[in-house]
Amino acid sequence: MRQSKVWISIGIVVVIGLHAVPILSAGLRKRVWPFLDWGMYKDSRAPGPIQVKKKRIFAVTQTGQKERVTPTLLGSTGYGLHMLYEVPLLRNDSAAAQDLFRRLNVQRPDPFVELRVESETYTVSDTGVVKQDNPVITYRAAPSPPR
Amino acid sequence: MRLPVQRWIDRWNAYWFPETSTLYLSITRIVMVATQLFWLSRPLRDHLILVEKNTEFINPQLLISAITTIFPRDLLFSTSGFSVFYWVVWVAGLLALVGLFTRVSLFVFALGTWILIAHIYSYGDRHHTEAVFVIVLMALAFAPSGKRLSLDALLRRRARKTADESDRVDTAMWPLKLAHVLLAMTYFSTGMTKIIFGGPQWLNGYTLQGYTFADAVNRNIPLGIWLGQQHKLAIVLSVFTILLETFFFVSLFLPRVAPLIFISAFFFQVGLLLTGGHDFYQHMVLLVLLLFFITPDWWRTLWAKYLGRSSPPISARPAIPR
Repeated sequence: MRQSKVWISIGIVVVIGLHAVPILSAGLRKRVWPFLDWGMYKDSRAPGPIQVKKKRIFAVTQTGQKERVTPTLLGSTGYGLHMLYEVPLLRNDSAAAQDLFRRLNVQRPDPFVELRVESETYTVSDTGVVKQDNPVITYRAAPSPPR
Repeated sequence: MRLPVQRWIDRWNAYWFPETSTLYLSITRIVMVATQLFWLSRPLRDHLILVEKNTEFINPQLLISAITTIFPRDLLFSTSGFSVFYWVVWVAGLLALVGLFTRVSLFVFALGTWILIAHIYSYGDRHHTEAVFVIVLMALAFAPSGKRLSLDALLRRRARKTADESDRVDTAMWPLKLAHVLLAMTYFSTGMTKIIFGGPQWLNGYTLQGYTFADAVNRNIPLGIWLGQQHKLAIVLSVFTILLETFFFVSLFLPRVAPLIFISAFFFQVGLLLTGGHDFYQHMVLLVLLLFFITPDWWRTLWAKYLGRSSPPISARPAIPR
């Protein structure tokens, strides 16, 4: 076999083999892109009502300005915002809220002092989709430590 | 008598290194580079927002960690550093597209694309859409993908002032074969995890309804919201999903049914896009390339039948064992 084909063959085996890394190593699972485990949408759900919660976070500044927390405002991606903050804040995770304040207020002259998590629940019913507003969850920024 | 090892090597060569024209590979280069360059690459602004608003990575990809280990973080991950890097990758992409210094420009473009995407995925986010595509993009840099339809080829012809050299090589198919194998692996893995973790309950219709409805409501996709309310249809589509994902690999062994499997997978991806907003455009592009170039007999037969002439002799032939 020609030398070039030997190297290509080694490369093919390595590329295929590297796909085992995220499966075998939990620590590296999320860090070895583009070699990924492909378990997407793998969990099943029991029969029952189909429900989904739609949520968004608003931040209110010291002067009363209200702004929606978007990936651009946060400096993250949509999925990052969802997993790191939207889901924990809906579960009353105040540590995540304080972390979000910290990130949002970096170099802000008018810092955010309040977060409001608004959500609605959509349920599939016999007559169509039913929308129900949920109570707003509010977080206040912890006072800054004295300098 | 041939040794068993030699027989395996012959089989390996016959699969990965059949003698073919480089035309399909060159078209693949143009399609993939243009797709990445003009359609799927994230704008510079997205990167700069991440660079400016984050003093550190949240969960850095190994590729990004390696770069920050070798170079000071501010050298690349600053507004000016990243802007320069982004445009270098862009110029390399343009050169790869027109086929000038093809191998080098493709390598720089592919590596740069890896770094750009790994950067986006170093802030608590990570998706599957680009993975297979960028691996194949890198593979193109190690194959003669600039041998035709390129400025390099034009310059070579002018320098020699003769007709083009032989176009048939045995290293023009392996990137497409790699794309095929990787897609088969990833579909199989996705299907098997549903079977192992979800069990038979994954087929109950409620599972697919729940996933579709959640994605569609959050992304305001009317077709998905409608599908989320169709229980019986969800059962049928669940079965189709599991069958397609688990048995896509059959296309590796049965070339005659491979086009049907590629077409099914293409419409599966389109369906996911229209109902759940899952934008696996890269998979769609790869599936179309495989449909036409891995198993070209079906369209060449149709071509000959309806246009009354045979297309150029560029189909694959097994390599002669050397």
